[in-house]
Amino acid sequence: MNAVVTGVGTIGPWGVGLEALADALQQGELRLSEVDRSKGFHAKSSSRTAGLVDPGVYREWLPGKAARRMSVNSRMTLAAARMAAKSAELEESEVGGERTAVSMGTSFASSEFTARLLEQINENGPQAASPFLFMETVANAYAGQVAMHFDARGSNSTVTQREASGALAVARALYQLSSGPADRVIAGTVDEMSPLPHAILDRFRALARPDADGQELPKVFDKDRAGFIASEGATVFLLEPEELAKQRNAKIFGRVRCAIRAFDPTAPSHDWGTGATELSAALVRGLERNGLAPSDIDRIVSGASGSKTGDRLEALVLKEAWAGLELPTVLAPKSVTGEYGGGQLAAAILALSDQIFAPTPGFEKIDPDLEIRPYDGSPMTTPARVLVSSLASGGAACWFVLESCP
Amino acid sequence: MSGAERTDARRIVVTGLGAVSPYGRGRDVLWRGLDSGQAAIGEFDLFDSTEHRTHLAGQVRASFDDLDQLGSDDKDQARRAQRLSRTDRFALSAAREAFGHADLNESTRDFGVFFGCSTGGMYEGEGLFEARGSVAHRPMSSMLAAHQNNSPADAVARAFGTTGPIEVISSACSAASMAIEGALQALRAGELDVALAGGADGLCRLTYAGFNSLRAVDEQACRPFREEREGLSIGEGAGVLVLETLEHARARRAAPIAELAGAGSSCDAYHMTAPHPEGLGAAAAIRAALQDSGIDHADVDFFNLHGTGTPHNDAAEWQALQNVFGERAATLPATSTKSGVGHLLGACGGLEAVVTILCLDAGVVHPTTGEGPVDPECPVDLVLGRARALDRCEYAVSANLAFGGANGALVFRRWSEGRS
Repeated sequence: MNAVVTGVGTIGPWGVGLEALADALQQGELRLSEVDRSKGFHAKSSSRTAGLVDPGVYREWLPGKAARRMSVNSRMTLAAARMAAKSAELEESEVGGERTAVSMGTSFASSEFTARLLEQINENGPQAASPFLFMETVANAYAGQVAMHFDARGSNSTVTQREASGALAVARALYQLSSGPADRVIAGTVDEMSPLPHAILDRFRALARPDADGQELPKVFDKDRAGFIASEGATVFLLEPEELAKQRNAKIFGRVRCAIRAFDPTAPSHDWGTGATELSAALVRGLERNGLAPSDIDRIVSGASGSKTGDRLEALVLKEAWAGLELPTVLAPKSVTGEYGGGQLAAAILALSDQIFAPTPGFEKIDPDLEIRPYDGSPMTTPARVLVSSLASGGAACWFVLESCP
Repeated sequence: MSGAERTDARRIVVTGLGAVSPYGRGRDVLWRGLDSGQAAIGEFDLFDSTEHRTHLAGQVRASFDDLDQLGSDDKDQARRAQRLSRTDRFALSAAREAFGHADLNESTRDFGVFFGCSTGGMYEGEGLFEARGSVAHRPMSSMLAAHQNNSPADAVARAFGTTGPIEVISSACSAASMAIEGALQALRAGELDVALAGGADGLCRLTYAGFNSLRAVDEQACRPFREEREGLSIGEGAGVLVLETLEHARARRAAPIAELAGAGSSCDAYHMTAPHPEGLGAAAAIRAALQDSGIDHADVDFFNLHGTGTPHNDAAEWQALQNVFGERAATLPATSTKSGVGHLLGACGGLEAVVTILCLDAGVVHPTTGEGPVDPECPVDLVLGRARALDRCEYAVSANLAFGGANGALVFRRWSEGRS
């Protein structure tokens, strides 16, 4: 069974939809917004910006009254899922059924509602806790909302593995399709960047700090990288077996050839590790298990974000996996999308097309320890096969291979 | 493909069990507690419940000091151990017990970790939040990281130095069942040979207040399927299975305890917090698990209920049982592990899987604790008073129903060849 992507919906700081993301990637533009630092979570010297989403841009994708009682994550997920259904040229009534599964990922769940609920409990006592807030603090609330909207009665799961959540949700979706329970999976990832997780990430020293011009920018793979931009958004794929997709003459964005998963035990709980050798070996073994070799990959959609440790691990894993071979072009879409919210997944779909990418914004100097140069604007041909790489802080790792599907 | 038709590489067996529950640490303590018919749900002191609507829970009171000593000769390991959340400790304790029970070689590193978790280290996160002010000045960023749901599984994988796949499912109360389902699929597909699968969750103010806000908590210890039931009791702990392909187990001469014959999951797609009143989603998950196992509903010898004790949930589960088992629903021996330990939320599927296997292994079903007569509207054949020995005890189903309508069901088979 081959799984193919027949629908894509995406929301992020770039706006709504693949076209808006394509424009942002072509311009090399990361749209930043001021973070609300009035809650008291942030230090004075903390990062001030994030890739936030204007709720107005996706309002038209929300189902009216029902969305009023949803968290930001539920709203973005549902809007992206409806976009994915439309791009799959399916009527909404056709999407669901007992063989339609949902496999979502999230790093932080509904942090805004969680913070508000804790405030209620602390300030007004536990009996003031709102059942509505509580309901939406549960990490699988968004997957449940999507299921209810589409009447998707197949398996319904939510993966929480930080930066690898989206890729791991895709990996789980592949099993739902290949092991038989599902003919269609709504799969993707969502995250909101409320003040609390932003402040926590800042505490981890994970976020970019102002440069000489006062700007906070991710310098992905750059020698002077100092952190990433935390973003919010949602990206949802509609995945189907290739045979069924072709039977209904669906537009196919790409085939998900395989997913590969591993863990880096050298990672501390709050950072990336140093286990590049074992991770690269796991990647190569995984490719081989699926009849592929590194040389079969034409392009890499890297999960590098500007993190000092994360980019280092990513670069070393790729270099070791491609040892003795020329590394394919490495795209670094998080230089435009920021970290979290699934921008990388949507960018991977574009990477498989004739999408024009700007030279990696923010990259200036090669890090002599990494010796990796992300995409520099050189002419590119359309790739046949793309590796999507997702390494998470804490140790989780997931890669998947997208290939063209004529 | 039925279980009998699967090759050894695709048959998945359970070779190790580990548990942490309000009865204490270990599967033996858990089994003795459940067998006693006395619930481990009572007053608790993890946090002050004075201002809450209810005042009971299943709190783990065991000491985990030995985990703090883990790797005390290694500075990094020792530092990591000190920063484990309570839930991380539950996970690590249960995983170590399961690993040892399976007699796995300590050098085994390429196994997977598949965990369910709903609250992670939220208890510790609440303490940091309560202090207010800038999180920038709080100590130990790793404690901030521990509040996330991936933390217990990551802590296990890190402690064992595993390099295999990791998957954390946070689908509320069916999370661990679905994590075990994920491990089953990965093992069958040949992605790995061995997996630690289950779940861990800890008590915290947020879930205690949240379930109370829904009026879903009983003021007494929970009374699943009883006429006067008024809600659930929240518990905490962990349950972990060592799963491996039969081929791998045989190659290393390991002794299976049971077979994980199949799994199924579904969604009600009905309501965020209420189950489908006819139990359609739960029935679909159970039916999918039976189909995956290649067995008929008539082959099932007992049922480990989700059995929370909430009026709606038990009623919906009864409807699901009738939907799948027909008239036999009223005579199929059934029990609720939650009556003894409370509702372990994201971990309940893991602990209940452990208990289901212990029942299969012993050929008995543990009693459901709680007061009052069985609800005539939900007349399950609830095992009451003391454990019931079964004439035939080969297949059992363990099911979980969750917020968001997510349902998971697992089918276990007693290992007939005996432990070698």
